[in-house]
Amino acid sequence: MSTSTGDRNPPQDTSSGPGGSASSQTSNGGYNTQRTGQGAQYSDELDNSEDLVSEVEEEEMPEETEEEYQTKQAVLKASLPFVHQYGWTKKAIVAGAESLGMPSMVHGMFPRGGAELVFYFYEESNKELESFLKQKVTELKEKDEKIKTGPFIHDAIETRLRMIIPYIDKWPQAMAIQTLPQNAVQSWTNLSRVVDDIWFYAGDKSNDFNWYTKRGSLAAVYKSTEIYLIQDRSEDYTDTWNFLENRLEDVVSAGHLARNLQETNTVLSEGAKGFCVMTRNLLGMNNR
Amino acid sequence: ISQRAKDEKTRKLLSRIIRVDQAGELGADRIYAGQIAVLGNTPVGPIIQEMKEQEQEHLETFNKLIVEKRVRPTALLPLWNIAGFALGAGTALLGKEGAMACTVAVESVIGEHYNSQIRDLMEDDPEKHKELIKKLSKFRDDELHHHDTGLEHDAEKAPMYDALSQVIKVGCIGAIWLSERI
Repeated sequence: MSTSTGDRNPPQDTSSGPGGSASSQTSNGGYNTQRTGQGAQYSDELDNSEDLVSEVEEEEMPEETEEEYQTKQAVLKASLPFVHQYGWTKKAIVAGAESLGMPSMVHGMFPRGGAELVFYFYEESNKELESFLKQKVTELKEKDEKIKTGPFIHDAIETRLRMIIPYIDKWPQAMAIQTLPQNAVQSWTNLSRVVDDIWFYAGDKSNDFNWYTKRGSLAAVYKSTEIYLIQDRSEDYTDTWNFLENRLEDVVSAGHLARNLQETNTVLSEGAKGFCVMTRNLLGMNNR
Repeated sequence: ISQRAKDEKTRKLLSRIIRVDQAGELGADRIYAGQIAVLGNTPVGPIIQEMKEQEQEHLETFNKLIVEKRVRPTALLPLWNIAGFALGAGTALLGKEGAMACTVAVESVIGEHYNSQIRDLMEDDPEKHKELIKKLSKFRDDELHHHDTGLEHDAEKAPMYDALSQVIKVGCIGAIWLSERI
């Protein structure tokens, strides 16, 4: 959530893949956004010449071009069918590239190897979830119905998790890859995307710390359900969806508990204050 | 630079601006609340109250923008809530001049900050951000008005004015830096 490098800036490739010749000049093209931000911040203090330098540097070190991006996406898409055979690895990417008629050296465009495939799949699934949510909201609006938060969130998580099912044989490997330290930040960003989208389309309007508690609790529900899913052997995974329902209920009752505690606290403190005033009255202190 | 990358850059800029402005207005509102808690019954009370109400208007604007533009609010909001009140009450305990000195210091940092945000927005895309630039300009003018009000009410007569002013300014700049990122 707080990454400044953004989620679409993979590290710079070292070999020159198709259309990637400009990249060999750069050493840290993926960090341009950070530098621009700093440039704007300090422009008050630096003199104009240093502004020019940062501008020139920006031009010489372009971020990944659109062509590069599209090529990578195409290769990753073609690699997904090979995951069952090779897992989420470089081998799958090579197989995918070769199926498109590209040389196997293309795997050099993916320095993070199998993780790139995992992230591609995750991001594509997130996009699919978003269009599903958008459509649902539009349907409800047309029928002039209000969104019922509970069922809406349940449906959203179920839909998103069902996208994993085709790859469930190799999903534990994907989950393990996501927990590696070098992939942790991107995984966190991906998960945040899921819960943020779900809450946004469910109609969340919070603008204070509740923003965090809502998303945090939903992320916990999602993660735990995902873990349950990969070891579930029931018919159509009905056990998982029951598990999900129970976790969501837990969150709701935790919210009620929090509110009750707050109210209790107010009542108790009012009571304590009243008791103090009464004591002071009895001792005649209030009249001195 | 591809359109996608450009959009991403704009989105990050907007996110950062709205996030830090919401935090700033909440902080300012709480500072005035702290000052009123101490000086509410004195002659300067109504003046502070008026400034507080303006900050509240600003805060509501940014609260709406946070939802509208899908911006993540800063996780430090509870911290600024408490720290703002403490700063307001603390400086108010130094007397009316102390409270005014705090106001002057904070508002001058905020004024500069709004200006640099307006510059960044104009650099990015003056047409697209026209609405927001207009709002920020109005808020900046309000804040500078508060700054001048503070000076009018003997801010400079506060005890250790220079040191107090510097410390508060540095604190504000640090808070702004943190809220932009966290």
